[in-house]
Amino acid sequence: MPPEAGPIGRVVATELKPSTPHQFHFWTARESPIGIGSLVRVEENARVVYAVVTDGFAYCDLVSPLHAVIGADGDPQLAGTEPTARAEIRLYSAAVLRQVPEEPLQPVPLGSVWLASDTDVILALRMDGYTGHERATGIPVGLYAAGGLEAPVYLDCDFLLGPEAAHLNITGVSGLATKTSAVEFLLGSIFQTFPAHKGTVAAVCFNVKGPDLCFLDQPGTLSVEDLRQYQRLGLTPAPFQNVRYYAPLKPDGVNLNTLRTHESLSANTEPLVWGLREVLDYAEVVLNRDDIDAKADAFIDFLAERVVGREYLDETLRTKPFLVQSFADLEDFFRRIFDFMEAMGKGGEVWKTHHVATIRKVRNRLSNISTRSKGLVTDDGLANDLPWGSFADRSVHVIDVAGLDPLAQDLVFARVVSKLREHLERRDLGVDHVIVFVDELNKYAPADGPDTYVRKMLLDLSERGRYLGLVLFSAQQFRSQVQRRVVGNAGTGIYGRMDMDELATGGYATISPATKIKLATLPKGELMLRHPHFTQPIFVKFPRPAVLNSREGIERFPPAAELPFTDAVVRHLRQFDRRISGEMVRALIDGRREEDVRRALAATRRERPADVYAYFAACLGRRMTSEAVSPRRGIPALSQADDPYGR
Amino acid sequence: MEVLVNLNSIRSALAGRGLTVASMIPDAGGSRMEKASIQLARLVEGISLQSIPVGPVQAPPEPIAFLDGVQRSEVIAYAGASPIVVAEIAAAVRERRDRRLHTVLEDRRRVVLARPGALDAAGETLADFHRVPLESEEAPHPIRDLVHAIQALDRARGALVLDVGYRYRSRSDAWLVVDGALSESPCWAGDPRVVGVSKSHSILPFDGQDLERYLRLPAGYRSSIYEPHTRALAPVRAWALRLWPWEGKDLLHGLVRIEVAPAHGSTQSADAISRWILAERTPVSAPDRRWDRLLYGIHSVEQYLRSRTA
Repeated sequence: MPPEAGPIGRVVATELKPSTPHQFHFWTARESPIGIGSLVRVEENARVVYAVVTDGFAYCDLVSPLHAVIGADGDPQLAGTEPTARAEIRLYSAAVLRQVPEEPLQPVPLGSVWLASDTDVILALRMDGYTGHERATGIPVGLYAAGGLEAPVYLDCDFLLGPEAAHLNITGVSGLATKTSAVEFLLGSIFQTFPAHKGTVAAVCFNVKGPDLCFLDQPGTLSVEDLRQYQRLGLTPAPFQNVRYYAPLKPDGVNLNTLRTHESLSANTEPLVWGLREVLDYAEVVLNRDDIDAKADAFIDFLAERVVGREYLDETLRTKPFLVQSFADLEDFFRRIFDFMEAMGKGGEVWKTHHVATIRKVRNRLSNISTRSKGLVTDDGLANDLPWGSFADRSVHVIDVAGLDPLAQDLVFARVVSKLREHLERRDLGVDHVIVFVDELNKYAPADGPDTYVRKMLLDLSERGRYLGLVLFSAQQFRSQVQRRVVGNAGTGIYGRMDMDELATGGYATISPATKIKLATLPKGELMLRHPHFTQPIFVKFPRPAVLNSREGIERFPPAAELPFTDAVVRHLRQFDRRISGEMVRALIDGRREEDVRRALAATRRERPADVYAYFAACLGRRMTSEAVSPRRGIPALSQADDPYGR
Repeated sequence: MEVLVNLNSIRSALAGRGLTVASMIPDAGGSRMEKASIQLARLVEGISLQSIPVGPVQAPPEPIAFLDGVQRSEVIAYAGASPIVVAEIAAAVRERRDRRLHTVLEDRRRVVLARPGALDAAGETLADFHRVPLESEEAPHPIRDLVHAIQALDRARGALVLDVGYRYRSRSDAWLVVDGALSESPCWAGDPRVVGVSKSHSILPFDGQDLERYLRLPAGYRSSIYEPHTRALAPVRAWALRLWPWEGKDLLHGLVRIEVAPAHGSTQSADAISRWILAERTPVSAPDRRWDRLLYGIHSVEQYLRSRTA
């Protein structure tokens, strides 16, 4: 820690620029370590004031620019060559973070100004209330650095993951704001320092673009400076230990729709496949875009409660009961209804109080999702899902939806978040807290546009999630384009490098011009932080996350080429049992229908049997060999001798 | 030295002693008073007064320092018809290093000026002030006494400036630019490293055609060197120097009088000193209304002293 050499400035207050309990001004020498975002301490008598520098001014005793012109005789080349440099001032504005004593709250006294020390940073940011004791709840988020001082800054997990406040939102321009890196680092920090007395925690991350979150389990390259920062923060630079990846399949039903398809990463990468039951519970997602109505809702409820997954008998449709378990079964069910209504002719517009138009609409929407989300939604009813009920402490579940149709992405968000909420409400998820990370929040909870199911769900999560332990970490390029209540409910806000146009919007009105300029030019690895304990935003820097970044990850683990159907099946089975050879599998599936092979593969994946090959073969069933049919011989006519008419 | 504070409590104490308290800042409280006149000087360069171009501006010598003093006075009470004036006088030297001015020497004094009887009437109330009795045979007159007090204060301020300048020169070889005339002190008048720059032209050294030539010097020109007649206390050499064009403004605009020790009374020295004094005209000391004659270094000393004077 740098020694406290002496005061670096002095508070000044004039009638035009008075000190208030919340703001004051001070001057420094021309050369001083003070900058925008620096923390300072003012001491006068028994009062200590902690503050953050929000703006800076420099001016000289020149009253009119005309005098400079006169002095230089109108020649710019002569300007600056005067024997004496004009008297000038460095004047700073500072916003008060804390006053000791807190009552009575008074204007900042005209005292000496000191650069904040390590201890001052703790006091200024009120971190003394949640760090440094037995039941501490501090989560390291970065280092405050100014004037040679480098002090760890902690977030209060009671205000980050609930129950006091919760949620985190990070905003900044793409590529420069290091939003994803910041979230990865913070998740790592939470996993390492989340206190035992607060329970268990896991994370569910939606990978919405490229390979952003595809290598969380792989160690990244860190510089000496990064390592030093990790040490200063008391963290171990290590990738996440327990990560599972889920990605839908491609339309062929066997190749994964993700960039994480390198063979050496396949052990913890599995398909995300849902059946009719999983989709039907969230059918509202696909219906609410432009045509949700009570009638469609009622018919979907009818399907969900009376038809899907159980025997349903309607002798007007057919004498044999329906057992609808897949989209194919459902399609057959619809066809029977339409056949019945057509047969009814005039007066056949209604079936069991549901109008034919409503039935057609629901049928179209549901069949649409099975088409547009082919690969996510399976036709055979066999799902492969997140481990609901057995989430492990400090586990990360990454769901790669980058390659999915927007409609299917909505479906994934809606179902996963809803399931998390259900399980957390019942306290049977396996962990006490779940952090849900959603990037590109402006896409899923836009400020304008239709009030979609996903937006309502995210709003509900941001407003009520903290009571359940369901916490939203979200990121977007432009905060102003996100539904205000969603970002407004985020107790903690992080800002990376910002676009000036964005900073000109109303949401940033309370930020000083100098702070805005700093935000617009913030280097990578530095962030501005808002947190309930900090009465003013604070700038911190953080080390690179200890995981492989997307660019290096793609270079080191290039995605596998898309395989032909048979080869893809072989690769899947070899993931479960390396002893299985390609020849064995090829011989087994040769001539089989692809849907039969997919069904067997899904069953094998779900069961994970000891003898994979045998189980897979059993699921495929006995091969039905063709049998030669000999031509029928003609039946000779009966000859009846006693027939009086016979010939 | 502490600044003047809480004059109201002093006023209360004086009222308690039977004096009539007052609160009035004299008009001449901030500058010295000089009577306008012509005192013919002796020309020592050439046989007639000339306008001499000094040549291109030249960088001033380093190091260089600037000396000035300020005063602030206030009538605090009356003992009968006699005013009691309290004042603060201050002087400082600011030295230039790397184009930046730093205060290297400073002194301040609090004084009280009044007739001896008035001072006695004030008693211990003004014990913290240096007492300057104003002896006079004449009957007390509030205006006349005030003029006498201001003149005495001028002298006290001048003495303090001299003292500070002397102390600075006794420990430094740097050039010292003094605001005003050098002839008030034999020490300065003989000091080859002290230059006086006077803005005041109340006493003019020539008349007739010479005066017109003297007052119409073009910018960047100096007058011939002369020996001021009035400076009998300590002989110096002087010349006028025009810092800024005066045409269209005023005859005195940008006109200063330079005073140096007789040792620098040569043409070569006068030209050299004039060239670096010309360099010192920038940065201009605006918004001071005397910016055309007030060197920035002197202005800086004034600003510094005033900022620390209550």
